[in-house]
Amino acid sequence: MSCNKFFSILIIDSFISLSSNMASARRLKRVVASQPGFLNLKSTSNSADSASGRRKRLNKNKKKSWNKHSDINDVEDFLQDVRHQERTTGGLLSEKSDDSLFFLDVGQPKKPEQKGKASRPLRIDLILQHDSLVPPPKDVLAYQQPNAKKLRRSAQRAEQLAAKGVVPRRRKQLLNRRPVDRTAKKAETEANNNPGREYYDIWGQECDAADPWYLQQTRKSLVKRPERLNEKPSVLPAVEVIAPGGSYNPDFFSHQALLQEAHEVEVKKQKDENKIERQLAVNREDTATEETILQEQVEGLVEEEENEEETAAPKGEEEDVAVGAITLAAKKTERQRKRERAIKIKEQQRLANKQQTDHRQQLFQLRSIKASIKQQDQKTKTRQRQRKDNQEAQKAQPRRLGKLKFQPQDMEVQLSDELAGSLRRLKPEGSVLKDRFKSLQKRNLIEPRERAKFKRRHKLKYVEKRAFREIT
Amino acid sequence: MGGLQKKKYERGSATNYITRNKARKKLSLSLPDFRRLCILKGIYPHEPKHKKKVNKGSTAARTFYLLKDIRFLLHEPIVGKFRAYKIFVRKLKRAYGKTEWSAVERLKENKPTYKLDHIIKERYPSFIDALRDIDDALCMSFLFSTFARTGKCHVQTIQLCRRLTVEWMNFVIASRGLRKVFISIKGIYYQAEAMGQLITWLVPYQFSHDHPTDVDYRVMATFTEMYTTLLGFVNFRLYHSLNLLYPPKLDSKSETELKEEDEEDYAMNSESYLEKLSALSASLARVVSSAEEEEAELDQFPTEGEDMEKMETMEKEQKLIEAQKKLFQGLKFFLNREVPRESLAFVIRCFGGEVSWDKSVCIGSMYEATDETITHQIVDRPSIDKQYINRYYIQPQWVYDCVNAKILLPVEDYFLGVTLPPHLSPFVEEKEGDYVPPEKLKIMALQRGEKPAQEQEDEEADEDEDDEEEEEEEEEEDDDNDNEEEEDEEEEAEEKNLKKMEKQKSQGKSLQVKVTPGKMKVEDKTRLDQEEKAEEKRLAIMMMKKKEKYLYDKIMFGKKRKVREANKLAAKRKAHDDAEKSKKKKTRK
Repeated sequence: MSCNKFFSILIIDSFISLSSNMASARRLKRVVASQPGFLNLKSTSNSADSASGRRKRLNKNKKKSWNKHSDINDVEDFLQDVRHQERTTGGLLSEKSDDSLFFLDVGQPKKPEQKGKASRPLRIDLILQHDSLVPPPKDVLAYQQPNAKKLRRSAQRAEQLAAKGVVPRRRKQLLNRRPVDRTAKKAETEANNNPGREYYDIWGQECDAADPWYLQQTRKSLVKRPERLNEKPSVLPAVEVIAPGGSYNPDFFSHQALLQEAHEVEVKKQKDENKIERQLAVNREDTATEETILQEQVEGLVEEEENEEETAAPKGEEEDVAVGAITLAAKKTERQRKRERAIKIKEQQRLANKQQTDHRQQLFQLRSIKASIKQQDQKTKTRQRQRKDNQEAQKAQPRRLGKLKFQPQDMEVQLSDELAGSLRRLKPEGSVLKDRFKSLQKRNLIEPRERAKFKRRHKLKYVEKRAFREIT
Repeated sequence: MGGLQKKKYERGSATNYITRNKARKKLSLSLPDFRRLCILKGIYPHEPKHKKKVNKGSTAARTFYLLKDIRFLLHEPIVGKFRAYKIFVRKLKRAYGKTEWSAVERLKENKPTYKLDHIIKERYPSFIDALRDIDDALCMSFLFSTFARTGKCHVQTIQLCRRLTVEWMNFVIASRGLRKVFISIKGIYYQAEAMGQLITWLVPYQFSHDHPTDVDYRVMATFTEMYTTLLGFVNFRLYHSLNLLYPPKLDSKSETELKEEDEEDYAMNSESYLEKLSALSASLARVVSSAEEEEAELDQFPTEGEDMEKMETMEKEQKLIEAQKKLFQGLKFFLNREVPRESLAFVIRCFGGEVSWDKSVCIGSMYEATDETITHQIVDRPSIDKQYINRYYIQPQWVYDCVNAKILLPVEDYFLGVTLPPHLSPFVEEKEGDYVPPEKLKIMALQRGEKPAQEQEDEEADEDEDDEEEEEEEEEEDDDNDNEEEEDEEEEAEEKNLKKMEKQKSQGKSLQVKVTPGKMKVEDKTRLDQEEKAEEKRLAIMMMKKKEKYLYDKIMFGKKRKVREANKLAAKRKAHDDAEKSKKKKTRK
């Protein structure tokens, strides 16, 4: 293979090559390849096939035909070889010094004993490893700047303007913009139960100087709270201290008193329960016995006639009475009417006279009348007082605020043998949460309520699964 | 008769009330939101007088509100927030459903929230109003702060409650305002005085919750939401009234003392400050670092007669309170690990004592158990191995009883392993003639400054003495309350006097006449006064009208009956004690 031809083809190759950054490397290779001492890695590859066969006639005045018909396999192979060398050894073998290529074989070096497989890298990592020794190409475009000249000019102009003291419009706008108060917004969106929230003197500050009329008209001021709402709905205190018997180490008598109280509550409950049970119980007389069943079955079969006779008798009497009442209302004679009228008038007169004398007599009864009036007054007064007392007592009572009545909590009590001798062994009784909840209900702040029960809107359908059906 | 017929239920009470459902619809809120709004604004349901009229003829039980109240609610800005929140939830659900995570993020960032500050200001126009209603807030906050963070309510709420309660306790310590403590089976009741208001609250025991199912947590959480806001503002004001920094800061001196290397063991850095505050062992920093507070003396006004007496009693009370405030001053306590640390530390610090505990129990311990200057070690176990000779080993009840008695009680009854005297409720105030348990009588005697006779080893002697003491005390009691003394007793006394005089006379007759050097007759002025008063009273009783006399006799009879009952109870108690003692003896033998 002539060196000359090879050279010319290389030049073509350099024409074809697109990446300009590779050009220098190519040139170097070219130079290297032209050297007589170049070592070919694949020494067997020969371009013998190019010589075989009839030679084609082609016009060589067009680039297209060059491209089409020139045989560049040998060049390709050569380049492949060069790249291969570069990849694997990091340079051309011909340039390498002998020391780097050869070594003295002294047998396998003794490997230090490996412990386990931990030291060996994963196969996947090995596959993914970058095994080429050619350094990655430098991206020239990254260093280039489009419109560099224009940018430089504009920067210069800006510098000049800045030296003069002229601020560009956009900058001015930015400066004029009101700063965004980020903290304010955050405070607004801060949750109410934020444990780090800040407090201030809410009662100290007076409302700011804005015109109250303006505030009212623009609906910025709050509506005044009616005085009525500040009254508490109950007179009970917020915290009702437990009776002295509820101490963890109580005095004997106060403990007994508390137990007694609890006992009474329990007895009352039991009584109510018993009462309901009694009322619900079926009366023994109402249950059917054999006798009554038999009687029912033969009802109307045996003694029918006797009954009929009995019922028939009183019927006749009733009819007689009714007829008599009608016949009594006979017409009165004129004389009778006159007499009746006279009697009536006389009676009226008598009554009038009596009333008159009574009136006159009252003059002498003045004392007793006075006494009776006084008595009446007294009565009304006591009643008023009583009513007032009742109302006062009612104030402390829970009101009926909804469907359910207030149910007082079970009394917290510890029996004598449950009492702990010391604070360490004390077992708390009842729940403070429930106590607070009931207290709120008792003071009429919330209505007594039951937990909403789950209601199924549609009936459940039961379907046997196929797997289940197969078994049975 | 002209005019249209009046329709029913168009005037009167029927138009003054509105049912809950209608109110809800009027505000266009859901029921939970409506309930929340009502709680926050302090609008409560009403029970109308004539339910049937209000309910338009129906007798079904319903919840009614006053129409005017609901109209007032219409102006509330929070209503709008509630509606916005509803929409927010809807949008969020939608975004989740469509898995639009960026939308979820954006929505969450703009979550509508509300503040209750304006409501607090509106409901409590002045600070004192707020302070009067603080009982509930304290109870609720203490309750919520002991909840486990298990999702029954927001963790943030629990943290906030904890912070506020710690602030409150620190304020009470700084103001030395604690008055009474009562350890009950339910929890611990405290009573403190702040700005002249008596405030009672209940603190549950730690770890004692078995979340009851019939309590509406949502309602409770709403109340807590309102009360935490209120308590925060009240705390702020209270701290400023004492010249303390708010939020509370530890004293610079104590802060350096508390600095330790192993702080990280207790809490994260962000939480360790609150933990240190909640240890209650260090004092707080003041705005103006004053060295010593000047003690405000009561102004003296020229007064006469009854006012004078009143003033005197007031002064006395004031002095008592001042003395109580310094109850534990100069004492050094050490808490063993088995006693309730927070409660005891709080109580001891409230009365000027120094307190510490084992390092591993809690952050903020000031000194070790080996400190020689410790005066009292609080122990709640039957025996302890290593004991120092120069300190008392007492049970925790001693501290509480001392606070309630307002004096340092003798420690003998509270030593290690001793059966404790009963813990009496300080919230009971006995009226005259009521039964007073002997333990209380003892304490009252101590308060008056009487020393109980030395208790001897011999039990019987002990008993006798006890009885004597009791009797004495009872007598004294009577003396104290002699403004309305019983007729009978006086008469008896007079009779006795007469008899004595007669005796003396007779004796004088029998003896031969003798002249002795004259003695100055010492006139006991007070006694004379008393006699005079008694005489006056007797005469007044004689002069009573029949009717009044009847009433008077009745009252007196009632009083006597009460005394009789009390005596009966006392006798019973004695019998009980005797029985106990004999039982003990038997067991000992």
